[in-house]
Amino acid sequence: MELSSLPAVVPPEPAPPRPLLRFEGVEQLYDGKIRILGPLDLDVVEGEFLCLVGPSGCGKSTLLRIAAGLLRPTRGVVRLGERVLSGVNSSAAMVFQSFALFPWMTVVENVAVGLEAAGLGPRERFKKAEKYIALVGLSGYERAYPKELSRGMKQLVGVARALAVEPRLLCMDEPFSALDVLTARTMRDLVLDLWANPEVTTRTILMVTHSIEEAVAMSDRVVVLRANPGRVADTVSLAGLPRPRRASDAAVREVIDRMYGLLA
Amino acid sequence: MAVATGLVIVLLLGSSQLRPYDAPELDPRPALLPLYLLLSLARLLVAYVVAVLLALATGHLAARSPVARRFILPTLDVLQSVPILGFFPVAVGFFIGIFQGSALGVEAAAVFLIFTSMFWNLAFGVYESLITLPEEIVLAAKQFGLRGPLRWSRLILPAAVPGLLYNSLVSWANGWYFLIASEIIAVGPARYTLPGLGSYLAQAVTVGRHDQTLLALGVLMATTVGMHLLIWGPFSAWAERFHLEESGEHPRTPRIARGLARSRIVRWVTGRLVVPAGQQGLTAAGRVLDFVGRHALWTTLAAALVVPALFGYGGFRLYGLFKHRPPSRELAGIPFDLLLSFLRVAAGVVVSAVVAVPVAQAIARRPRWRSPALAVIQILASIPATAFFPLIVVLLTWGLGMNVGALLLALTTMFWYVLFNVVGAATAIPRELQEVARSLGLRGGRYLRRVFVPAVLPGLVTGCVTAWGAGWNAMILCEYLEAGGRVYSVRGIGATLDRATYLTADMQVVAVSLGSMIALIILVNRLFWDPLYRHAAERYKMDA
Repeated sequence: MELSSLPAVVPPEPAPPRPLLRFEGVEQLYDGKIRILGPLDLDVVEGEFLCLVGPSGCGKSTLLRIAAGLLRPTRGVVRLGERVLSGVNSSAAMVFQSFALFPWMTVVENVAVGLEAAGLGPRERFKKAEKYIALVGLSGYERAYPKELSRGMKQLVGVARALAVEPRLLCMDEPFSALDVLTARTMRDLVLDLWANPEVTTRTILMVTHSIEEAVAMSDRVVVLRANPGRVADTVSLAGLPRPRRASDAAVREVIDRMYGLLA
Repeated sequence: MAVATGLVIVLLLGSSQLRPYDAPELDPRPALLPLYLLLSLARLLVAYVVAVLLALATGHLAARSPVARRFILPTLDVLQSVPILGFFPVAVGFFIGIFQGSALGVEAAAVFLIFTSMFWNLAFGVYESLITLPEEIVLAAKQFGLRGPLRWSRLILPAAVPGLLYNSLVSWANGWYFLIASEIIAVGPARYTLPGLGSYLAQAVTVGRHDQTLLALGVLMATTVGMHLLIWGPFSAWAERFHLEESGEHPRTPRIARGLARSRIVRWVTGRLVVPAGQQGLTAAGRVLDFVGRHALWTTLAAALVVPALFGYGGFRLYGLFKHRPPSRELAGIPFDLLLSFLRVAAGVVVSAVVAVPVAQAIARRPRWRSPALAVIQILASIPATAFFPLIVVLLTWGLGMNVGALLLALTTMFWYVLFNVVGAATAIPRELQEVARSLGLRGGRYLRRVFVPAVLPGLVTGCVTAWGAGWNAMILCEYLEAGGRVYSVRGIGATLDRATYLTADMQVVAVSLGSMIALIILVNRLFWDPLYRHAAERYKMDA
């Protein structure tokens, strides 16, 4: 290594945080003509909670689907470490806006389905599924069907299902927008707790939201997107703001107002 | 699976040993009825399993690939509106040829005919279920790595269950209906009888043994009711969880069936046998279907080649028919035959619609009647028209014209389709709309005209289209019938086709009457029913 030839007295510079996922010149065209997104470059850094905010039509959900490998960009590439992503991103798991639970499966079957696809045996996958159901606080509901749960509980199942496959990247597509205000607030705190919980292996979160307040309350960094076509308007770091952040706090209020200014 | 295999074995044994090959007489002893019933059930089951598997493969392909869809949907649409009974002689000739005149050929022909009566709506049902599957659920399946067989057993099959189940009821009703026609096969002078409930019933009617007719009818109805209570009911209760919440009203499971589903024995059987077997079945079916799906492109391509080739071959044979023989004298009468039958079918549709609407309103007004009413409709719909022959014959001897007789017989099929669809549409009328109508003082005829008929119009049109298709099939059965040793017949395309098939074996007349009937049906579908349905669906849809 070349570093070792340097004089030992110079302290090694802290390595720049490694990007887990890197978008390079990503573009999405509709019908091959109308540009809805990009060209756009963006890094998702290992261990961060990154939020994408922007008006409807800015392509934030599209960007998330590209990150999860559910959609192939018309142009450009997504890198996962060194590798260029092709097909479904197996190091990512997704939480959907409409929960997207399989109505014909019980809670535990829903949570275990990704593990089954990954080739885990029945005993292992149910053990692991039960662990994550307990982590989101749904113990006792393992045998219930999604239909029997409230909306908030359904999204908890969605979160447990995504975390259970122990992805390096958790993708969340407006996960709280189908919930009432109070439930959404509880869910935000719960996701932050899970993120801080050492039992949860997932460290990096990429979340799409249309709510600036939600982005500021939760994330380390907010990428503000502009519409038509979707481009990065600005990136705001929130590293200096300690959690829990409440909108009544002056410093938090100021960041929120600044972001509204960016979007106006 | 074991049950299915067992029934197939019974079928094979039965057809090789019991079938009196050249003696069309069936042993009429009532003690043999359980055996006949078993044989008929085996035929229906084999046809049903094949129909379900093919419906899944076809429906999935159409839902998944836009290219395949453009080919599959119109093909299904045309084939489903073709009167299957008319094709029976051709199919029999084909299968008997393949199996070189062995009993298996007749058996295969019968199963094939039953299959064609079950398949189309199942395929459309699967397609509908899959095309309406929410995008995020499909994405979630993809994201969590459901591929290949696992995708089938965890996503596609469960999603298709409600559509399959609902259509299975219709398919079985159709299957019973066609069973009668398919167990007695006659082409020209040759006549083959397969032992079964259908042939037993048909023979009893033909020789005029009313006691045997009633007995066979009783067995048929008991079987249908039993299947509703013991199979479809618990199965519907089980499958309720498969419904996506977004989709609206579903026919509710009858209360008796719910109760049965909750009872200890049924729960034990379900828990220990049905669910594990179902899961095994799903997984196995997943493997098979994944294989088919993987080769979907080749299947489509093969079909795209085979279908035109078949048509080409048919055209060639047709050419041969006319080249070597002078045109039959009967051909000149076909246009008028067609007109008479057309008027009969049209009258049947109008009468069905006019009667069905008030009946459906009466049922819809009393929610408690709804599920028993639907069950009764399904049971009545599965009673084959042949079974009503004796009744009609009695009416005929009282001086009723055969013209009205044939229409009445056709109505015993057509009416139920209209009623079933209108009741379905009526139960989906939002309660707010009914309350608004009541608070505005709309009652009686005015309510019917202003609220009820517009609200059920899409269902009414669907029912009429189905009845129209079924009506043509019914013409083949009803315009020419043998009962009590006498022939009752009225002029029409169905009678001409029957005479050409069974008496004179005049293939020219068979080909031309079938061809012109199909052309007329497709023409009317395209020019009248399709635009009407589009208008009704757009203007009167309930999700405003």
